[in-house]
Amino acid sequence: MSIKQFFAALALGVSLSVSASIKVDAPAPDFTLMNTQGEAVSLSDYQGKYVVLEWTNHECPYVVKHYNSDNMQGLQRKYAEQDVVWLSIISSAQGKQGYVTAEQADELTASRNAAPKHVLFDTSGEVGKKYSAKTTPHMYIIDPAGQLRYAGGIDSIKSANPADIPKAENFVDVGLSALLAGNDIEKKLTPPYGCSIKYQS
Amino acid sequence: MVLDKMIIIRWRAAVIALSVMLFSALSHAQEQDALPSYTATGPHIQVSLLANKTALVPGTEVLLGVLFEPEQDWHTYWRNPGDSGEAPTISWQTDAPLAFGDIQWPLPTAIEVAHLVNYGYEGANLLMVPVSIPDDLATTDALQISADISWLVCKEDCIPGWATLVIDIPVSPNGADTPQAGLFEQTKMLLPSEELKSGLFEITENNLVFEVSQLSGQQWTLYPFRSDVIQHAASQQVLSMDDSVQLVIPRSDYFYDQPERLDWLISDGTRGYYVEGHLSSGAAGISASAATDTSLWLFVLMAFAGGLILNLMPCVLPILSIKGMAVQATSQKLSHKLAYLFGVLACFNAFALLIIALQQGGQQIGWGFHMQEPIVVVLLAFLFTFIALILLDAIAVSSRFAGVGNSLVSGESAMSNFSTGALAVIVASPCTAPFMAAALGVAFVSEPPVTLLLFNALALGFALPLTLLFTWSRAISWLPKPGAWMERFKHFLAFPMFATVAWLCWVFAGQMGSQLQFVLLIMLILFCMFIWLLGHATKPVVKVLVSIGLIFSMVFPLWLSVSPNVQGLKGQGASEQSSDYVDFNPQQLATLRNNDEIVVVNMTADWCITCKVNEQVALSSNDVKQALTQENVTYMVGDWTNKNAEIFEYLTQYERAGVPLYVVYAGNKSKQVLPQILTTNTVIDAITKAKQELNHVN
Repeated sequence: MSIKQFFAALALGVSLSVSASIKVDAPAPDFTLMNTQGEAVSLSDYQGKYVVLEWTNHECPYVVKHYNSDNMQGLQRKYAEQDVVWLSIISSAQGKQGYVTAEQADELTASRNAAPKHVLFDTSGEVGKKYSAKTTPHMYIIDPAGQLRYAGGIDSIKSANPADIPKAENFVDVGLSALLAGNDIEKKLTPPYGCSIKYQS
Repeated sequence: MVLDKMIIIRWRAAVIALSVMLFSALSHAQEQDALPSYTATGPHIQVSLLANKTALVPGTEVLLGVLFEPEQDWHTYWRNPGDSGEAPTISWQTDAPLAFGDIQWPLPTAIEVAHLVNYGYEGANLLMVPVSIPDDLATTDALQISADISWLVCKEDCIPGWATLVIDIPVSPNGADTPQAGLFEQTKMLLPSEELKSGLFEITENNLVFEVSQLSGQQWTLYPFRSDVIQHAASQQVLSMDDSVQLVIPRSDYFYDQPERLDWLISDGTRGYYVEGHLSSGAAGISASAATDTSLWLFVLMAFAGGLILNLMPCVLPILSIKGMAVQATSQKLSHKLAYLFGVLACFNAFALLIIALQQGGQQIGWGFHMQEPIVVVLLAFLFTFIALILLDAIAVSSRFAGVGNSLVSGESAMSNFSTGALAVIVASPCTAPFMAAALGVAFVSEPPVTLLLFNALALGFALPLTLLFTWSRAISWLPKPGAWMERFKHFLAFPMFATVAWLCWVFAGQMGSQLQFVLLIMLILFCMFIWLLGHATKPVVKVLVSIGLIFSMVFPLWLSVSPNVQGLKGQGASEQSSDYVDFNPQQLATLRNNDEIVVVNMTADWCITCKVNEQVALSSNDVKQALTQENVTYMVGDWTNKNAEIFEYLTQYERAGVPLYVVYAGNKSKQVLPQILTTNTVIDAITKAKQELNHVN
């Protein structure tokens, strides 16, 4: 019976989903994207380190919620100190909301006091689709062995209201702390919330 | 933030201005117009707070509504917004004790945004909330009700908004329709039906399978309440059969818990129903972790109460009544008095240990699992008939049978008390009492110590009434006075026993078919006749002959229920045998494979929705039927509806705990295990591939 299998899967903490979808506790798909300096950056460059992927769109109200409150940048700075590599990815297609040039991206980083290792451009949406990224923000944590350890929302309260931030459980913060302390993540998958990513198609 | 503050300020000012104007200028006769719709404007959207009545009439219900009017091509969201977005929220404030109901969501539509899907409303949308007004609410000219509203309005880009809207509405014995009442009436037509449907769901590797009963047609779309259940953008495969609709939908990447319950809406765009969905397949649905420390004691209590009530079930009560009426206030040893309790405990623990042993062997079983075995059903039918005959005094007192019977149910020795306990548990085994099902559901999926604990709680509850009678002399005085009525009551109690026999025969018919049921009934009658004869036979020769007949009448149906030779007869009974397939048989499978035949094995069960969906979608399509009836192809079906050791062994080989399982063999060359959700092409491709492999070798 499928239910028994399901129990077994649950006991292992493994998601059974396959096909073109993301799998936690499985290898994270590798990718290469351009940063704001025009250099190619690959996920595999950071093997041996924890990597956070953040899908972003600076005009999306849900992203604004986490940047105007310094919530997102706070996390970036906190974990940069602990040698975690933070990659902000923009999958907005040219002409769509959130699309920025390299200069604009650097400006945003400076003006918002953000601290990602790189801002990467995925204008074709290829990498976003590889990761089944749906919303901005949509967060992923990858461990030093290249395994995907977390995928989902930034926190537990699905709203655009910054007043909810202190009340919410920040899944990325909790997850990274657990991993860095050598523990397993309790909530490996949470439904993401926010604006839809403005893909080309 | 600045924006929404501005909205509120502007709006408060407008309300005050309007209220002053209205209450100074308008007369009572114009009350109908006295209730303006209060409105806030955000980017790309206008939001208004409306009521369907001009006044709150004590003891009635009024509808308040928040009307969202986005610009063209902009939309707002349903309770589950889908892949992105956010549902609107409304929170109410007022000084009066009004009861605000839940938002009545109109039927949503699926809105595609690039390759993602949202659930929501394009164009104007009214979210109505029923408000109950208490009978004793004091009348007043203006009661203030305010609503804190949040929303998200999107085209491709999204803009959130917040506003506090205030409505002043009189409390009065008379209320008329507001000008917006028509809008409320129109919106009611867009709500899902008030009829709540029930549904089941199953979880497979990649999909969720939903079933909604009492529904037909293929035009349905499923909208789950939770956003992490299905892939919203995936196409939903809809099937209609008999009196139900099945949907197969890919699972969300974020669906990884094990809910017992999922609720959803099913809609065809104009009609919709809310569905209360439960995880398919009985006791297995209750997770072991459900029995946490606190709830475990609750289940122990339920098991105890269930055991207590079990005494009153028609299969148990007669036996215990006889015993109870025979109790006398004699001074026996305590061990003697407690023998009944020990009998019950021993039998329940034997049951529990058997269940644990079977579960360790990987089987999924529930209370009454032994009823899946026809031989047990036959034995119980004879046992109940025998007890009924004893109750009717139809067994001669001199006969040895009566001796056995009497010692079982009405003797006074410790051994007799012990065996009454054991017997009571056996006759109770086909019955369930209230509270028992939930407790046993947990017992069957828990760790062995918990299983034992719950079974012992059940046993103690079950044994309590009679044990009290045996051990506590005052309890005996509560019993009615003995007399002639006791004899008549004892005779009467035979009939619940016969009723239980009738039910057992019906169960047997379901397992073995109506022809064999007829044989069983004849044998039961012969059994009664021989027992009656035995009481009247005097010559030893006759006694021996009658005894042989008696034994034959019992053994014959027992033999029938285990003999493999009756499979043919069985087929004519309960299930229609189709010539397209052969019943699963491991020996035949081995032979066919050795002969380089292609064999398609389908393991199915009546209670498996996924299996039924596959049979409907893939296996009964003409192309597949043709492929299955080709010359060197054999289609073999194993029915796991009832327990079957051979099928269990086969499933274990494939590391499956249950059905569906589909395997295609190319002789001994290869085997392909097909996915749990089939399509016509999957099956045909697998058969074609098997053929090619065989041809390569030949």
